[in-house]
Amino acid sequence: MFSHVMAVLQPYSILTIIIGTVAGVAIGGMPGLTATMAVGLLVPFTYTMDPALGLMLLGGIYCGAMYGGSIPAILLNTPGTPAAVATAIEGFPMSRKGKAGLALKVSVIASFTGGVFSVFILLLFAPMLARQALHFGPPENFLLALMGLAGIVSIADENSSLIKALIAGLLGMIIAIVGTDDMSGSLRYTMGYVELVDGINFMPALIGLFSMIQMLELAGLRRTHKIDMSALHKKQKSEPLPKGIFKFIALGAGTGTVIGVLPGEGATIAAFISYNVSKRISKLKELFGKGNPEGIAAAEAGNNGCVGGSLVPTLTLGIPGNSVAAALMGAFIIQGMIPGPDLFTQYADKTYPFILSMFIANGVFLIVGLTVAPYLARIALIPPAIMVPVVATFAVLGSYALNNAIFDVYMMIAFAGFGLILKKLGYSLEALILGLILGPIAEGGFSQGMIMGKGSPWIFFESGIAKVMWVLIILLLVPPLYSYWKNVAMVKAPPKEALDDLDSLNEPE
Amino acid sequence: MARRHLDRVILLGFAVLAVLLYISTASYPGIAQKTSALYVRFLAVSMGILSIVQLGFSMFRDHDTGRLELTDHWPRFIGLLAALIVFALVFEHAGFYLSAAVFIPVMALLLGYRNYPVIALTTAGVLGFVYLVFEKLLSVNLPGMAL
Repeated sequence: MFSHVMAVLQPYSILTIIIGTVAGVAIGGMPGLTATMAVGLLVPFTYTMDPALGLMLLGGIYCGAMYGGSIPAILLNTPGTPAAVATAIEGFPMSRKGKAGLALKVSVIASFTGGVFSVFILLLFAPMLARQALHFGPPENFLLALMGLAGIVSIADENSSLIKALIAGLLGMIIAIVGTDDMSGSLRYTMGYVELVDGINFMPALIGLFSMIQMLELAGLRRTHKIDMSALHKKQKSEPLPKGIFKFIALGAGTGTVIGVLPGEGATIAAFISYNVSKRISKLKELFGKGNPEGIAAAEAGNNGCVGGSLVPTLTLGIPGNSVAAALMGAFIIQGMIPGPDLFTQYADKTYPFILSMFIANGVFLIVGLTVAPYLARIALIPPAIMVPVVATFAVLGSYALNNAIFDVYMMIAFAGFGLILKKLGYSLEALILGLILGPIAEGGFSQGMIMGKGSPWIFFESGIAKVMWVLIILLLVPPLYSYWKNVAMVKAPPKEALDDLDSLNEPE
Repeated sequence: MARRHLDRVILLGFAVLAVLLYISTASYPGIAQKTSALYVRFLAVSMGILSIVQLGFSMFRDHDTGRLELTDHWPRFIGLLAALIVFALVFEHAGFYLSAAVFIPVMALLLGYRNYPVIALTTAGVLGFVYLVFEKLLSVNLPGMAL
């Protein structure tokens, strides 16, 4: 471990982490740009870099972007990332009262604590979990992919119905079968394109679905919403941290880490769940919505807690915890480092420095947040007309860079165009990318499992690990399916109170 | 086009895709029949069933008559897509720096931005950043570059 620590403390490594983290804070601070977009865009560029340095750069961006979204949320009521929406609810009212300094301080300390805690959990549990993966054979790998795909059910929300989320996941898996069939060596669905022989690369898909779509949407906006800059000009006083705030930070850090571990659950959900729980247990309930630092503490510790948590299943089992982790997984794969036990044995000299670098990244954004955060809020004022061409340039370059293939750029544009239509129709793009990533793992595990079982599917239920995994899959599926069923039932038969409320709304004033 | 109509067209497309996918597995050779083909059939059947169920929901429950608004500003939207394709075509031959030096200002102007010094500074900043950080500092081998 000492050699890994020393690898991180090299000047070049430190510089890379600082660049990544500061860039991440800046990207997270720009509304419309997200951590997934930034990591996805930069993964191809890390291909030719030293693997450890490339991963440190991306880790820094992930940590920085997750925190960066809170700065404009607090100062301008404009969350830089969706995960900072809960922060804006409490942060902006505080800024208007002249308490932006306190809000920013609470936000950065909560983010730092949540981030460090989750990376510590990653460091502690990932190698143990990865060792278990040594006992996995093809049937277990198939079940592992199923477990990841079960996350699709929890991706479904008010914007994408359960069935549409499942269709999107299946579509991703179908796209993933294009290319050479590993079992027979024959080509499938390549339509004569040589570029498709190795299948559809998921990096152009990721860049198209998570970066280019956002740019297309921004470019097509007739007018952007006006940002309230009054808090930036208000005199802000410096205050100490409120008493008892660490209870809420601890709550957020724990919640965020656990939620991060679950496949498909992202930082936005972590932030909102932490925020809602803090609201329930707070002694100052009446202050929520009017500027309560406890809400900021829980939400920020929650979304940053997701960082380490999401990497636990990603690095150990190859199941991305969320879309940023999926992009990061791409960085490991293009370096030939397949997630699993090998990352902690054969590639330990790269994996451990990457994990340790995230402690430093958290420290870097802590310093940035405590010193220059108010100035960084102005990043949110960059007009989309400038942001769009810059990001589009990196999107094209990133898609091309991986294979030096113009075909990948066209794929990226196609994914962006079709993905936008799917998004507008309520399909989940996260589910699509999850299907695209886990499809090959599922197919490989299924096909090899069927050979092992001599054509009998019982092979997928035989081993003890397989039985435990089936239980876990059911446990992952039941709660979201139950709440979905409950929602559907409520839509069909609204409760009497709701009908009464509706009646009272319809009454003339 | 109305949102629900496009939704139905897409769902119908998915159902057709599922059928074609299922039929195509008949041509899988040898051992693939008992392995990959089964997997692909499972995907096809699942996709087909879910698409039809969703199509049913859409036909009988979706009464939304609103149009699908892909964008508020079609010229800019199409302009960006077209510029992206041209950029991709050109930069393989002209190199990254030259093509990006044209693409960024043209796109900024197309999107209605008229602050020329900021456009020039941004373009120079991006090219300088890519050169210094990616090429020099991080030793990233950027493709098709001729500076």
